[in-house]
Amino acid sequence: MEGKYEFEKKFRDQVLRCSSCGFCRAVCPVFGLTKRPALNARGKMLILKEVMDGNVDLNDELIETLFQCTNCTSCTAQCPSGVDPPEIIKQVRKDMVHTGSCHPAFEGMNQVLQEHTNIYAEDEPEDFERERNRKAEYVFFIGCVGAYREDEATMATLDLLDHLDVDYTMINEVCCSGVLEDVGFQINQDLAQKNVDLVLSTGAKTVITGCPYCARTFNNKVQYQTLKDKGVEIIHISQFLKDFDLGVKTDKVVTYHDPCDLGRHCGIYEEPRQIIRKIAPNFVELRHNRANALCCGAGGGVRGAYPKNSIDMARRRLEEVEEIGAEIVLTECNSCVHNLKNAKLRAQKFEIFTTTQFLNQLLEEAG
Amino acid sequence: MDTTIKQSLKEIVGAENFTDSLIDLIAYSKDASEHRHRPDAAVWPVNTGQVSAIMKLASREKLPIVPRGAGTSLAGLAVPEQGGIILDLGRMDKIIDINIEDRLAVVQPGVVYADLDRALSPHGFFFPPDPASGSVCTLGGNVATNAGGIKGAKYGTTKDYVLALEVVLPDGRILHTGSKCMKSVSGYDLTRLFVGSEGTLGVVTEITFKINPKPPLVSTSMANFETLEDAGRAVSEIMYSGIIPSALEVIDQQTLIAINQNTDLNLPEVEALLVAETDGYTREETEFQMAKIVSIFKKNNATTTRQADSKEEAEALWTARKSAYGVLARINNNLIVEDLAVPMSKVPDMLRAISELSKKHNLRIPTVGHAGDGNLHPVICFDGTNADEVKRVEEASAELFEKVIELGGTLTGEHGIGLAKVPFMGLEHDEISMDIMRSIKRLFDPNNILNPRKMGLEE
Repeated sequence: MEGKYEFEKKFRDQVLRCSSCGFCRAVCPVFGLTKRPALNARGKMLILKEVMDGNVDLNDELIETLFQCTNCTSCTAQCPSGVDPPEIIKQVRKDMVHTGSCHPAFEGMNQVLQEHTNIYAEDEPEDFERERNRKAEYVFFIGCVGAYREDEATMATLDLLDHLDVDYTMINEVCCSGVLEDVGFQINQDLAQKNVDLVLSTGAKTVITGCPYCARTFNNKVQYQTLKDKGVEIIHISQFLKDFDLGVKTDKVVTYHDPCDLGRHCGIYEEPRQIIRKIAPNFVELRHNRANALCCGAGGGVRGAYPKNSIDMARRRLEEVEEIGAEIVLTECNSCVHNLKNAKLRAQKFEIFTTTQFLNQLLEEAG
Repeated sequence: MDTTIKQSLKEIVGAENFTDSLIDLIAYSKDASEHRHRPDAAVWPVNTGQVSAIMKLASREKLPIVPRGAGTSLAGLAVPEQGGIILDLGRMDKIIDINIEDRLAVVQPGVVYADLDRALSPHGFFFPPDPASGSVCTLGGNVATNAGGIKGAKYGTTKDYVLALEVVLPDGRILHTGSKCMKSVSGYDLTRLFVGSEGTLGVVTEITFKINPKPPLVSTSMANFETLEDAGRAVSEIMYSGIIPSALEVIDQQTLIAINQNTDLNLPEVEALLVAETDGYTREETEFQMAKIVSIFKKNNATTTRQADSKEEAEALWTARKSAYGVLARINNNLIVEDLAVPMSKVPDMLRAISELSKKHNLRIPTVGHAGDGNLHPVICFDGTNADEVKRVEEASAELFEKVIELGGTLTGEHGIGLAKVPFMGLEHDEISMDIMRSIKRLFDPNNILNPRKMGLEE
């Protein structure tokens, strides 16, 4: 059957396949917080069925649910019927933008990346006291959050790479712009091309990213295909560090938050744990971990569009940290660190770091 | 719906706990069954007082009220067939008390089954009925449907654990039933009347459950049978052998084929596969029981039997049964999970009849079930956009239930009547019993505002 919208052409079968069992309620971070079925994957699929039946149009009334999904894919991981709601929702958002219904925050994001080179519209990039764009074996690609919001974590990562004598360079990077695909728009071709050209000009054979989302974008989006064609490998910093033994340890109780972008999206669960187990004998898992990990609430544009719910989702994640009495929360995504830190209450005494930042701290303490 | 009624509802629960947004109305239009109808509004009450005020208003205005938990009903119990107001109890989700000394747990209706299980676990206790939807279903919903699960044969169902209830009646009065004592025969058993009443008599706002100590050890085994009859005889013999397994599950050939098409489990595509579990406090105890079961398997021509030596192996044996729903849900766009029960000795006859219906109507009806208590789930997989197939599904369903009743069975073991089985109520219940049920409904709900059109109570 020919649909009115693009999502129907691509995903009609999947939407119909949702059997409304409701099992996604157990894992959806937005539902877990709001207890509102309309915001759960099942609710979204029911709404899309009504759109396909011609009862409802994609319009502003649907923004609150269809633009409130963190793309964490925990529903996909749990779905008995094999439905992948976030992929469907991303296409629906494009259809909605096309018909003129879009969350203003998402429109703003697209606008910013038309006019600026990063999602924060910052004009003065942090220089991190290092020469950029030189010939090197590796390129270290920071990502917007690490460059403009979590710069201490980034500085620590760079210090660690120096300590390990890694021959790397940074580039005058611009936003990978992958997020635009999630919020109803397309990757900015100019930005992508600039990153590709700059990486290639260094002669590096490997790009190490500080941000798992950037790694996904480079690896999966056609705009970055040239890198792969030229034999450039893209890995996340956790994959790079897993084999190093730094000889430092902590007695503290340490736990690990699986970022959705690294875990469910890339299947990388073990490498970060491999690193952490070497330095933290008192490692404890969070109640929801690996493929079952609870999202921090920042993804899919939700932090920008629904900031209160985003922070409250992070609070729910931090309640699990309290449950196990961890003193240190490590993760591999600056965006998670940023949201979790913003959500942390003063009474909560644990600390939150990227693994590399914590590693570097232990090295500095050891002198 | 009148705007003054909406305003009154907002005053009762607060504007943040009221909705008539399109997205909410659509989300509340369906549960896990194939039925669909939008409500006019929905509210999220947070305490009993609010539920009472809502019921008073609804009584006065003759508004249909449909209580709802997680909306996992497979029979349409939570679908607002006449519109009206969805009473979503999901925000009344506090575990009020866990009292190990008295072996009690007191909960609000919106507590998720798995959350209670997690809270009881450190004490070495559990709430035994474990529905397949345990990760999401709410305890209020469990009470409303008298939910069961795979441990039914040994541990019974929800009704065996509900000691006391707080219920808001349709006129807004707050009724307290039962007692917190382990034994009580004081007056009519009103508690039992509400368990399984599908939200048609009152709104449960607090539940007192009896809880059980959890035996820490289990033994698990699996056996394949070339014929349904051999498997059926094995089930029957196990159940009168003096051993009561904590689970005894059956998977039929169509399900095994579907599992093999979708996984790497590579199961033998025999007519029936049985999985059994025994539990206890010592290894000797669980193994003694399992040895007896395995010998019965062999005596009844099991082609292979496998017993798990470790927790991991036990999980592997359970994978086949536990992956069944996911596999069946992918066969086609729509599925109806049926829920009949027959006397245990009739399990093979019923499985044979399902297999024949499947051929006759050219439908895929893989079947799994809790063989130990005669509760089977034929899963009718079809394409709801294919009118001819939908017609065949309807015909097959009707013949299925005729067969169930002919074998002395019942329309539903644990899912309830809801909307799905209304047409078949007359097959199982005669005029006298329908008359008494309707009288009870009228006594509690003279205006028929609570979950109307369910259970075939309307004349």
